[in-house]
Amino acid sequence: MTHPEMDELYELYLLGALEPEQAAEIDDHLRTQCSHCQEHLQGAAPVAASLSLLAESQEPPARLRSRVLESVNPKSRSRNWIFAVAGLSAACAALLIVALWTASAIRSSHARIAALQIERVQLEEAVEILSKSDTRAVQFGRAEEPHGRVFVNRNNGVVFVGSALPQLAAGRTFQLWLIPGQGAPESAGIFHPNAAGDFVQVRATPVDTSRIHAVAVSVEPAGGSPAPTTTPVLIVPLA
Amino acid sequence: MHSEQTSDSELVDKLRARDPDAIATLYDRYGCLVYSLFLKVTQDRTVAEDLVQELFLRVWNRGGNFDANKGTLGVWILSITRNFAIDHIRSAQARFQTRLRSIEQTDPLSFSYKPAEPERILDSERSVRQALSELTANQRRVLEMAYFEGFSQSEIAAKLQEPLGTVKSWMRSALIRLRSTVKAGVAG
Repeated sequence: MTHPEMDELYELYLLGALEPEQAAEIDDHLRTQCSHCQEHLQGAAPVAASLSLLAESQEPPARLRSRVLESVNPKSRSRNWIFAVAGLSAACAALLIVALWTASAIRSSHARIAALQIERVQLEEAVEILSKSDTRAVQFGRAEEPHGRVFVNRNNGVVFVGSALPQLAAGRTFQLWLIPGQGAPESAGIFHPNAAGDFVQVRATPVDTSRIHAVAVSVEPAGGSPAPTTTPVLIVPLA
Repeated sequence: MHSEQTSDSELVDKLRARDPDAIATLYDRYGCLVYSLFLKVTQDRTVAEDLVQELFLRVWNRGGNFDANKGTLGVWILSITRNFAIDHIRSAQARFQTRLRSIEQTDPLSFSYKPAEPERILDSERSVRQALSELTANQRRVLEMAYFEGFSQSEIAAKLQEPLGTVKSWMRSALIRLRSTVKAGVAG
């Protein structure tokens, strides 16, 4: 190719639009450090670049500028990293709190469910005792004092239900006792009245009514005692 | 907005000093043009944004080596942009990291030309747009196929089902018009 021929091709050469053999010929010529071609190549570059204006102008999203600057600015990235770590830490802490709260809630729910299951079993046992024709009922107390009824069935057990028991001190519990004519009292379980002093205690095991003469309630340390440690607050003779 | 008066040599000095303000200035100057070009080629705003970020990251990492006495950052950046875009559409792979050629491969001659007044290329944007708008539909079409799609003259002729001589004629006449406009802008 002559110089005038090549002069018409430098933009296309820069764009890679020439056929391979034409491009190879210009490559070879440029390697000779031809000053004429170097100059024309310099002039062709902005012409080729100006073709970018064939693209319709589109405004980039505003976020792109900050994204570009953040990608090249270590300080900004470092700050962002710190913020990210701080944010992540806060999220982890929040997650931990939620997890602990959830675990606590689950434990509380489990305890509540266990208590309800116990109550349900006691109610079933109480119904079983109360529904028997041979169950005997003994009423005790007066309206202003602890009062209620004791239901005894020799085959099914005892139901002790009442109201107006005094409030317990912290770390104390009521304990129900079966009092035989002779020998040591038998524990019939511990119980806690509600805020109004109402209570139900069930002992669903056979009772030797010929031997048990009374039921009694004493205040004991939390968890109960193998034998009464205080004077009973309530004694109900069954005879 | 960063100063439009900052020269290429000052920007290159800032790039060498790892001053992010240089990228802010370059983005403000060329961000819209670069984004428009990527969007035109990729037809995908998300990909165009990714490519813009990658482009300026490369300028940040390599721009310090640019010799402002031998060319303009604007032409160099637009040249890289166009080749990035062409690489994107030619690549069968999804991720652009593997598609992009190195700057040296992308624009091997960008350091060797020296327009009379380096900052004037985009100053003539209005007259260039005017010149482009006055091209015939065929002239414009063949230039777009070469610039945005990376086709050679023979490929364009085949796709348009036109004689190769006709395509060359359209291109030549369009480039003559454009050359005179760009040179007038540089000289003016």
